[in-house]
Amino acid sequence: MNKSMKSKRPAVALITALTVMAALSGCSGGKSAGNVAAGNSGAGGNGGSGEQVTISHYTIDSEDRAFIEKLIPDFEKQHPGIKVKVEKAPYEQFDSKLQTLIAGGNSPDVTSHYGYGGFAEYYNKGMLLDLTDLIKEDGFKAEDYHIPGNLMNIYTVNGHTYGIPVNMYVTLMLYNKDMFDAAGVAYPPSDYEDKSWTFDQMVEDAKKLTNVSDDIAKTQYGVDFTWAERDMRPLYFGAEPYSADTWTNGGVPSETYFDSPEVIAAYQKLFDLVFKDKVSPTSEWSKSVAGQNGDPFVAGKIGMSIGGSWNLAGANDFPFKIGVAAVPWGGNEQVRSTLFVDPLLILKDSKHPKEAFEWIKYLLTTEIQEKSIELSGGNPPVNTEAAEAYYKHFDGIDPADVKKVYEGAVKYGYESYNHLITNYSQINDMFINELQPVETGHKTLEEVMPVIQKKVTEIIAR
Amino acid sequence: MSTVKATSPLSPASRPHRRVKPVTIASFIALVITTFLMLLPLFFMVSTSLKSKREMLKFPPTFLPESWAWSNYTEIFDTLQFGTLYKNSLIIAVLSVFGTLLSSAFVAYGFARYRGRGNSFWFILLLSTMMLPYPAIMIPQFVLFSKMQWIDTFLPLIVPAFFGSAYNIFLLRQFFSTLPEELFDAGRIDGCGELRMWRTIALPLSAPALATVAIFAFIYSWNDLLTPVLYLSSSEKFTLPVGMASLTSSRFRIPPWHLLMVASVLAMVPIVTLFAIAQKQFVEGIVLTGIK
Repeated sequence: MNKSMKSKRPAVALITALTVMAALSGCSGGKSAGNVAAGNSGAGGNGGSGEQVTISHYTIDSEDRAFIEKLIPDFEKQHPGIKVKVEKAPYEQFDSKLQTLIAGGNSPDVTSHYGYGGFAEYYNKGMLLDLTDLIKEDGFKAEDYHIPGNLMNIYTVNGHTYGIPVNMYVTLMLYNKDMFDAAGVAYPPSDYEDKSWTFDQMVEDAKKLTNVSDDIAKTQYGVDFTWAERDMRPLYFGAEPYSADTWTNGGVPSETYFDSPEVIAAYQKLFDLVFKDKVSPTSEWSKSVAGQNGDPFVAGKIGMSIGGSWNLAGANDFPFKIGVAAVPWGGNEQVRSTLFVDPLLILKDSKHPKEAFEWIKYLLTTEIQEKSIELSGGNPPVNTEAAEAYYKHFDGIDPADVKKVYEGAVKYGYESYNHLITNYSQINDMFINELQPVETGHKTLEEVMPVIQKKVTEIIAR
Repeated sequence: MSTVKATSPLSPASRPHRRVKPVTIASFIALVITTFLMLLPLFFMVSTSLKSKREMLKFPPTFLPESWAWSNYTEIFDTLQFGTLYKNSLIIAVLSVFGTLLSSAFVAYGFARYRGRGNSFWFILLLSTMMLPYPAIMIPQFVLFSKMQWIDTFLPLIVPAFFGSAYNIFLLRQFFSTLPEELFDAGRIDGCGELRMWRTIALPLSAPALATVAIFAFIYSWNDLLTPVLYLSSSEKFTLPVGMASLTSSRFRIPPWHLLMVASVLAMVPIVTLFAIAQKQFVEGIVLTGIK
């Protein structure tokens, strides 16, 4: 009737408005050069040398990850057929954007496990491209890029390679030189072969550095041993929580031993630092002192801190002098450091794996790895030749110490579980929640560990 | 409400007539303290935004900056392309507000003024879309927009606003249905068409409700993080929340909280401005829509 006639006009108005909108927002973005929709312009063209191909590299939107954008112009000059486009997301949204991109048919070509999920999770979800044939065809050799062979094994499952290492973080000890000087304690050694540097020696030193006072501003602790991921920690004392077949089984352990006496004893030793020896802060104290920085060491309240080598990157800003030392010997002949080796991965849905592989190789060359240290503000390279430049990167720290700590860590290091075990983000969340009451002193390990054992089994079975 | 009454005897006009009760004084003091507590985080935001990187790490934290680092306010433009982010956010927010107002007011008018078959069925269907959490439609919507080649444009962030939203339609419908029928009858007698009645009678009379919707829509778009993260991939198209999230994105660095606070202070400006402009309408809108 009359009404239906009228109601058409606003519809027209709406459509007009929408068109205008489309034009407007199109303009605002139209200036950029790499404006190719989702990077799959050359449909199907896989190796045509004359054809222009765009690959996308998905990474975290932070200065230590997104610096690769600055490496693109030179790469494109050397490889006229390949354009590289960087896609970014903040850390918290990394996983959900990746899943959405893949589900939406816009899978990036190259990425790494930069979010909460680890390599094993990607592998078991079938997200990764098997690089074995590409490597063979290309004649790629890890030695040519100075990548230690044992690092290549981390991302090789049953003889098939799924990832190529690009950065290597190790676990090391940072210490507050000012605090050691004030207490008259000798600096800890950076040499992993120094057998006097044991867990017990560390506790002795820590006692001399600890000063618990009623005034929270004056209180300081000797050591913070929140070492690696929570399920990783027993390994340091020689207790293995996952069965050995985990590593041959694509990250799916057939058995776990979190309620075994050895594993519980290992955790007990670490919690004793807090509750028996009282040389380490409780998690509540750390939180109140460190605030959102999350690290009381940075606030100058901790003598020794065991942590990832990424902590070094901020070292130039710390308001005190720092040094690096070896992780003390805890009773395991093999494992004293946890390695966090980040690989570059090609996703299964990549339309241009060959070109993506060219880009990966470029990122591994000594020249680019050296450049990346500077551009990222201190990312450690896997390329041992470029590593020399990395050792010299930190103001006020002796490069020889950094080198010794790195070499010892590689020798006595073990790749972190978070890259090697399936469904790891869920395991990790569960661990954080279940261990919380022990960290605050409200429950004992004997109460908590059987629950963890049961939940780990459930998560792995998913 | 009771607090408003309690403070009114303190106004100069009533003071001579009535003695101030102790309860009134107590509640006044309580209000002052609460206000102070509420303003404290805001104060720390501004204070931290003016601290140097070194001072930010200090414990116990300093209350006022030791040396006022005004340069933080220029540094943010270098580290974050702050100007571009700000402009992008503003474009998206303003167009979203426009779209939301246009579409929601239009649909709400229909629901408020017409009685037809299945009227309430459609309305309930509309309201039930409020129960769908965003992650449930995230992937299908992404596939849709990706097929339309809208990835890495502002379109997925703006166009949906032009298709109304259940909450705003509901809010405006409630408001429109309170307008007296006689006004529209008068309009009809004067030969006014439906569209014109919508525009010249319904909309001007609903300024408070529209202001409310506008502010809600603006804040929603201004704060939205997930949608821009999903749909935008070039840095020069990122919005403010994405840029700010990137400051804390590194797991390997101490986040530059001082710069983040600078960004937060500056990000607050449009919302405070908008609220200052629309405050009268806005408060009235909440009161009116709340009562009816």
